[in-house]
Amino acid sequence: MDLKSLLNWRLHLVVIVLSLLAEWIGILRIPLGPGTLLLLPLLYAFVLGVVLNPHLFAASENVIPKRVSAAAGPVILIAILPFIAKFGSTIGPAVDQIIAAGPALILQELGNLGTMLIALPFAVLVLKMGREAVGATYSIAREPNIAIISDRYGLRSAEGIGIMGVYVVGTMFGTLFFALMASYIASLDIFDIRALAMACGVGSGSMVAACSAALAEAVPASRDELLAFAGASNLLTYATGLYVSLFIALPVTEWLYKRLAPLRQEARHENV
Amino acid sequence: MKTSEPTDMTLDAEALEELRPEQQLGKTCLVLAAVCLAAWFSNMVNGAPLLDALPGMLLLYVMVVVGLLIGRVMPFYLPSVAWVSLVSILATLPVMPGSEWVVAQLAEINFLAMVTPVLAYAGLTLTGREFAMFRQTGWKLILVAILVFFGTFVGSAFVANLLL
Repeated sequence: MDLKSLLNWRLHLVVIVLSLLAEWIGILRIPLGPGTLLLLPLLYAFVLGVVLNPHLFAASENVIPKRVSAAAGPVILIAILPFIAKFGSTIGPAVDQIIAAGPALILQELGNLGTMLIALPFAVLVLKMGREAVGATYSIAREPNIAIISDRYGLRSAEGIGIMGVYVVGTMFGTLFFALMASYIASLDIFDIRALAMACGVGSGSMVAACSAALAEAVPASRDELLAFAGASNLLTYATGLYVSLFIALPVTEWLYKRLAPLRQEARHENV
Repeated sequence: MKTSEPTDMTLDAEALEELRPEQQLGKTCLVLAAVCLAAWFSNMVNGAPLLDALPGMLLLYVMVVVGLLIGRVMPFYLPSVAWVSLVSILATLPVMPGSEWVVAQLAEINFLAMVTPVLAYAGLTLTGREFAMFRQTGWKLILVAILVFFGTFVGSAFVANLLL
């Protein structure tokens, strides 16, 4: 670790200024059709950081030298840790509720493994993606999942690019997509509406809000019940999501990727 | 794109072991102090004034250091994030003595404000190689993201439907 770059005062000062600016702008809600586009401060912070990145605009070299920017990558690994500590502190006080939620709720957490079942084969075989696909599809790409990828591969690896891509897409359009999808699938009448409510608990506050609100809108009579199921499921995902993605989802994704990658090569040869 | 900076690529893989935060506790504690400072300021706007948030911020710092220490001495590997979250879950369990005080101090810390600086660091430290990579795969990632969201929602609904 290059301590001089990691402790570069300009880097941290710029981050403080960008964070203050982003927090000051606050959460923006943009109604769009049946859902709401939710913009969070972390998105502005990321975009502002990219704009000031010396590798993208030469003028930014005056703010942060390229040398510092390139060497300061590991700082993200450390910066995510205070957030993880705060995250854990929301789970401890709610432990009774989580135990009371019961085995049905616990087992549906395994459904979160569905992220890679369709997306990984599509990414590798159709889009011919490389290891970005592992980071992109092993989870729903929220903050704890980013922390795992950051710890395992580093955020500047191919896997890191993959998860950051899905993260940015999810941040911008996730709530809108969940609202649309939940109400549409509910209208198809395939699943028990309570099962859909549990499925809303994906471990993102804004997504579960949009998803359960859309369901409650679709079946107003059972509104309270649906919100309770969604809330309990989301709490459970907060509690278990980190461990399920680390010990089950990531190994399964790696296993599946190893089997899909050779098929991608064959498909390439056929095209030639 | 891999050929543009090949040494960087191999360095990343080799250096990853060395870069793990728990491997260099001294340096990590210094950098951690700097990032906590940024998070502390970030919390000013939607969290709490600096002085009110100080105990909570120090608690987070201590939890992280304790988590890293545990990760360092454990004979098997678990990512530092797992140890840190475990420390913080245990410290806030209702049966834990003093947990009420800990929870009250951490209530001054805004959940989202802790992530804002992380993403600012991420944006500032992306390199040319990553921009090239994202430019090449950006549109694909949008398609993949939609399938990821669809998969987790339908997957959970399917399992829950069987059990209800």
